[in-house]
Amino acid sequence: MATLTTRMRQPGALARWREVILRPRTLVAVAITIVVGYLALIPLVYLLWTTFSDAQGFSLGGFARAYGDARIGELVGNSLWFAAGAALLSLAVGTALAYFNVRTDVPFKALFFAASIIPLIIPGILYTIAWIFLASPTIGLLNSLLEPVFGPGTFDVFTVWGMIWVEGLHLSPIAFLFMVAAFRSTDPSLEESSLMSGATRVQTFRRVTLPLVRPALLSAALIMGVRSLESFEVPALLGLQNGIYVFTSRIYQVLRSFPVDFAGAGALAVGLLAVAALGIWLSNVLSRGHATGTITGKGFRPRPIDLGRWKPVVGSGILLYFFVTVLAPLMVLLYTALLPYYRPPSAEAFASMNLDNFVAVFNLPSVPTALRNSLLLGGGAATIVMALMAVAAWVVVRSGIPGRQILDHIAFSPLVIPGLVLGVGIAFVYLRSPLPIYGTLVILLIAYCTRYLPYGMRYAVTGMQTISAELEESAQVSGAGWWATFRRVLLPLIAPALLAGWVYIFVVSFRELSSSILLYTPGNEVLSISIWELYANARFGELSALGVIMVLILAVLVAVAYKVGARVGLKS
Amino acid sequence: MSRRSALAGLGAAGLLLLSGCGGAPTSGPAPGADQPTAAEAVYAEVGALTGSARHDRLVELAAQEGNTLSVYTSLNADIADIVVPQFEQATGVQVNLYRADSETVLQRTLQEASAGFAGADVVETNATQMAIIAAQGLTGDYEGEQRNKINEQFRYDGWTPTRFNIFAPAWNTNLVRPDLVPHRWEDLADPKYDGILSLEVSDYDWYMTLYTHFRQQGMPDADIDRLFADMVKGSKVAKGHSGQVELLSAGEFGVVAASYTYLTDKARTSGAPVDDQPFVEPVVARANGGGLLRSSKHPATAMLFMDWMLKDGQQVVLDNGLTPAVMPDGTDPLAGHQVLPVDVQQLINEGNDWSARYDEVVRGGEQLPEK
Repeated sequence: MATLTTRMRQPGALARWREVILRPRTLVAVAITIVVGYLALIPLVYLLWTTFSDAQGFSLGGFARAYGDARIGELVGNSLWFAAGAALLSLAVGTALAYFNVRTDVPFKALFFAASIIPLIIPGILYTIAWIFLASPTIGLLNSLLEPVFGPGTFDVFTVWGMIWVEGLHLSPIAFLFMVAAFRSTDPSLEESSLMSGATRVQTFRRVTLPLVRPALLSAALIMGVRSLESFEVPALLGLQNGIYVFTSRIYQVLRSFPVDFAGAGALAVGLLAVAALGIWLSNVLSRGHATGTITGKGFRPRPIDLGRWKPVVGSGILLYFFVTVLAPLMVLLYTALLPYYRPPSAEAFASMNLDNFVAVFNLPSVPTALRNSLLLGGGAATIVMALMAVAAWVVVRSGIPGRQILDHIAFSPLVIPGLVLGVGIAFVYLRSPLPIYGTLVILLIAYCTRYLPYGMRYAVTGMQTISAELEESAQVSGAGWWATFRRVLLPLIAPALLAGWVYIFVVSFRELSSSILLYTPGNEVLSISIWELYANARFGELSALGVIMVLILAVLVAVAYKVGARVGLKS
Repeated sequence: MSRRSALAGLGAAGLLLLSGCGGAPTSGPAPGADQPTAAEAVYAEVGALTGSARHDRLVELAAQEGNTLSVYTSLNADIADIVVPQFEQATGVQVNLYRADSETVLQRTLQEASAGFAGADVVETNATQMAIIAAQGLTGDYEGEQRNKINEQFRYDGWTPTRFNIFAPAWNTNLVRPDLVPHRWEDLADPKYDGILSLEVSDYDWYMTLYTHFRQQGMPDADIDRLFADMVKGSKVAKGHSGQVELLSAGEFGVVAASYTYLTDKARTSGAPVDDQPFVEPVVARANGGGLLRSSKHPATAMLFMDWMLKDGQQVVLDNGLTPAVMPDGTDPLAGHQVLPVDVQQLINEGNDWSARYDEVVRGGEQLPEK
C-alpha cells in the first residue's frame, strides 16, 4: 500500500486522485462503509441520543442516576471479575481444544464437532437452568452424587465462580471456532523447525505457536470479554439470587421501570461501550507490528503432531470436556423433557416419564412458521453479514486507507447495545421510513444483521490477519485486478474463518430474543419467541423438549454446512 | 476513510433527526391528542347502547370494517391460544395477535403512537402499562354493562380490567410441614423461614402495596423496614415468577413469598408438590386489562372484542385457572377475600422510588434511608 500513499502525495495529481477514488477497490470500500455504518449507527445514534437528552435537550442526568448509585463500584467490580473469568476460562478451554484438534493426533476428533456447536445451540436460559439442576447446592444432581463423599453442597452455582463456570463453558465453543480457524491458517513448518532446533513441545507451543495465533487470540479474548460483559441469562439466573449485580442485570432492571429510564440504561451501555472500545484499541495495539501473515506463498502443509504417551491423558480430558459441556446439560434437558414437571431423579420420577412434552411442542401452532422464519433469518443474516465482513475486513486489515479502524469500531458497537434498545432504535427509524419494512420479516433481518456484525467482523478480521500480503501482491503483479485477487486469492484463504463466522451467526440467531420480540408481527414469529413463550408460561418440560429438537435440527444443518464448506474451501 | 465514515455516520444521524422530533425520542406525545378521532365517535355511539341492540350494531359495523382486528397483549400464550380462537369462532372476526411481555407491549404501543402508526386496535396487558397508555391519551372511553359489574376498586379511566393477578405465598408441600405454613404476611419474617424463602427480584408493586397497607395499619416505617429486612434475611432472590415456581416445585426453595396464584395452581395441577391454600390474607391483587385505542382502524371490532372478553371470555379465563374480572354469573371473584389492590396511580407516580427501595431491600435488607 506504500505505492498508493506515495502516489497520493505527489503534487498536482488531481487526475490520479480521481483515478484512485474511482478504482473498484475504493468504491467497494466506500460502499461497504456506508452499509456497515448505516446498520450499526442507527442503534448507536439512537442510544447516544436517548442517553444524552431528556425532554429539555442535552442532559447528563442518565449518568448521574446510573453512576451515582453507591453500589456502582461493586457492580463494575463484579462485571469485570465475571467477564475476565469467563473470558479466560473459555479462551483456555477453546484454545487447548482447537490446538489438539487441528495440530495433534488426538483421539475422539468426531466429538469436537458436537462439543463446539451444541452448547451454542442450547439457549442460554436452558443452559443455565440445566446447570442449576446440576450444581445447585440444594437440588443439584452433581451435589447429590458427591454428597456421600464430600457432604452436602459441594458445588454452589449461585456465586461469581459458578457464573464464570457456566458462562465460560457456554462461550468456549466460540473461542474454539475462532482458534480452529487460526490454527488451520498458521504454518506448521515453523513449529517443526523449532522442534528440530531442540525446543520441547511445551516451549514450541509457548514461543512459536501462541505468538503465531496472537491476533486471533487477542480477537477471541476481546469477543469473549465483551460477550461476557453483555451476557444476560447467566447473571440474571445465577447472580441475582445472592444479590450479585452486573451491568446487564442492572440495565434490565432499569429498562423495566417506568417511566423507562432510557438515559440511565443508555449511560450504563455507554460505559460498556467505553470498555469495549478500550478493548479494541488494546487488541489492535498488541497485535500491531506482530508477525501477522503466517499464510505465505511458500509450501504449507499442516501435519498432526504425535502426542505419544500423552495421548490417553489428552483423550480423557476431551471426553471429560465433552461430558461436562455437552452430555450433562443435554441429558438434563432430555430428562426434564420427559417429565411432567422437574424433580430430582427417583424411581417415581422415572416411572412418570412420557413423551407428552414432545407431542405438545409439535402441536404448538406457531412452531412450524417460527422454525421456517428462524431458518430463513439465520441463513440470511449469516450470509449477508459474512459477505459484508469479508470485504470490510479487507478494508480494515489490508486497504491501508487512512482512518480504516473507524469501520472496525463502528462494526463493533452493536455488541454492547442492549437488545431492547437496538430493537427500539430500529423500530423508531422504520416506523418513519417510507419503505414498507416495519412489520415484515425484513426488519428482523436488519436487526439480526446489526446484532451480529461485531462477531462477523472479528471472525473475518482474524482470518484476514493471518494471510500474508505477499500472496495478494503476487496476484496483482501477475496482472489480476482487485476483484480477481479478492475472489480467487483472499476469499478462499479466509474461507475457514468465514465459515466459522457463518456457523456461529446462524446458530446464535436462533436465540435472539430481545430485539425480535419487539419487532416481530403476527405471522413473522421466530423460534426464540416460542422459547420465550414456553419459559414465560413455566412450561419447562416443553421448553426442554423444544431445546432437544433444536439441538438435533441445528446439529444436522451445521454438519451439512461444514461438509459443503469443506468442499468449497481450499484446505483439504 | 475517516471523512467517509463520518459522512456515513452523519447520513444515518440525519435520517434519524429528519424523521424524528425534538427532545428525547421516547417522550413524544400522541399526535392530535386533543382532537376526537373517528374511532372515538364509534366508542361514544355504541357505548350508549345495551343488550342485543349494541351487539347487532357492533356486528354490523365490524363487518363494514372487514372483520379483522389487531390485538397487542401480554396474556400468556396458552390462554391466548384458547381465548382468541373462541372469539374468532363466535364472531367470524380474524384476529392478528401480537404477544410479548408487558414492558415490550408498552414500548411497542408508545413507539407506534409517537410515529402515528395505527398498529393495534386493542391493547391488553398489565395494570401499570395500561395505566401509562391511558395516561398518554392513547385510549378511548369504553362504557358497557359488563364494565359496571367490576369491583369498584378496579374501575379505571381509559381501560377496563379483564383478569386479576393475585399474589399469595406458595410452598412446597414436601418441604414445608403444616406448622411452617404461613398464615399472615408477617409470618414470613420469622427466622424459621431462613434458607427456604424466596423473593422475586422485580416484585416492587407487591412490596409497595404491602408496605402501604402496614403503614395504614399504623405500623411505624422502622418496624415495616425491619419486617421486610427479616423476610429478606436468609432468603433467595429469583428472577421471574415462572422460573421461581419451577424451582419451588423442584425443591430449591420451600416457600415463595409472593407467587402468582395461577402459576402455583398450574404447577399443582401438573402434579407438583406445591400449594397456596388457604390464601394468606389480605390478598394482594393487580388487575390486567384492555383498552380501545383512539387510533384504531377497526373501532367497532375492537369494542366487540372487549364486550366478548368481559362476558364469554371470562368463562375461558376462569376455566384456565386465571381469576376473571367478573365471574360469568356477574358476581365479584374477589368477594369473600380481604383485597389489597395494587394502587396503579401510586405505582406510576412513585414506582421508581419503590423499585429502588425494593431493590435495596432484596440486596440484603440494609437500613433504608428515610423517605
